[in-house]
Amino acid sequence: MTVDRARAVIVEFLQRANKEYGELTDDLSLYGGGLELDSLEAAELSALLEDELGSDPFSTSDVLPETVGEVLAFYDAA
Amino acid sequence: MTAPIEARVALVTGGSRGLGAGIVEDLLAQGYAVATCSRSRTDQVEVWEKEFPDRFSFLSADVSVEADATRYVKDVVQRWGRIDVLVNNAGVAGEGMIALTDDGLIDRVVDLNIKGTLYVTRAASRTMLARRSGAIVNISSVVGLSGYRGLSVYSATKAALDGMTRSLARELGSRGITVNSVAPGYLRTEMSHGLDEDQLKQIERRTPLGRLGDAQDVARVVSFLVSPDNKFMTGQVLVVDGGLSS
Repeated sequence: MTVDRARAVIVEFLQRANKEYGELTDDLSLYGGGLELDSLEAAELSALLEDELGSDPFSTSDVLPETVGEVLAFYDAA
Repeated sequence: MTAPIEARVALVTGGSRGLGAGIVEDLLAQGYAVATCSRSRTDQVEVWEKEFPDRFSFLSADVSVEADATRYVKDVVQRWGRIDVLVNNAGVAGEGMIALTDDGLIDRVVDLNIKGTLYVTRAASRTMLARRSGAIVNISSVVGLSGYRGLSVYSATKAALDGMTRSLARELGSRGITVNSVAPGYLRTEMSHGLDEDQLKQIERRTPLGRLGDAQDVARVVSFLVSPDNKFMTGQVLVVDGGLSS
């Protein structure tokens, strides 16, 4: 299922970025107070998602995702 | 997507003739898989297609058009699975006194030399980011450093590329991606068409190494910058002009 693959990509990214994370809840922020991604890390996650899944919410959505749930919702809706 | 090709994969924009063709030729000789694009195909493109059917590809594309630039990059990723090297070579050299330069010329030169380079780089950098490796070379020009009468628009765009090189080197360095500029001097290619034979001879006389450059002179430098041997050089502008600007 695409949503599961997207979640796996996020986990893979966080591991290679040496980011500490707990449970990836839908309301977990990608940025401050959550995963603490900086702008380059967000770009890297965007590229990885596109690479694995063919599209990504950062470069194709009208509104940039702010939370893990918003990233996954992009694939859930696809 | 097909299985990734074993050869290192290089994109060279504007590689159907002139300096770009020299860079393509050099990379093919080293075993790279090379994808190039330009607005129109040339006899040289057909020679490469026959000689290297598995590791050469050509796309008719105008990279100053965002959709063409993105399609060019995505086609390569689809075909060969990754991008190791990007050489931003496509460019046009409009000339004339600025006081008499029309909007169309400014648009053509800026659109291809700057916007086209940014479009291709944006798309290619995404796949390099995903793999945390890559090498980008922007072909700028000595006229972006020293200036040349009648080439204000062209030199402005080439100086812009050098600025882009420095910023991208800082932006992408932490992800294992190098970004450099190569600034050729005066070459015997189509891009020197604005200079007459007397001007070219004068340049030869003033050049410490005593001749005009050729495409291979530049290609060899590009080849080093994009090779795995370049482990610690990024954000630089390498002038290849036989010492003319020294």
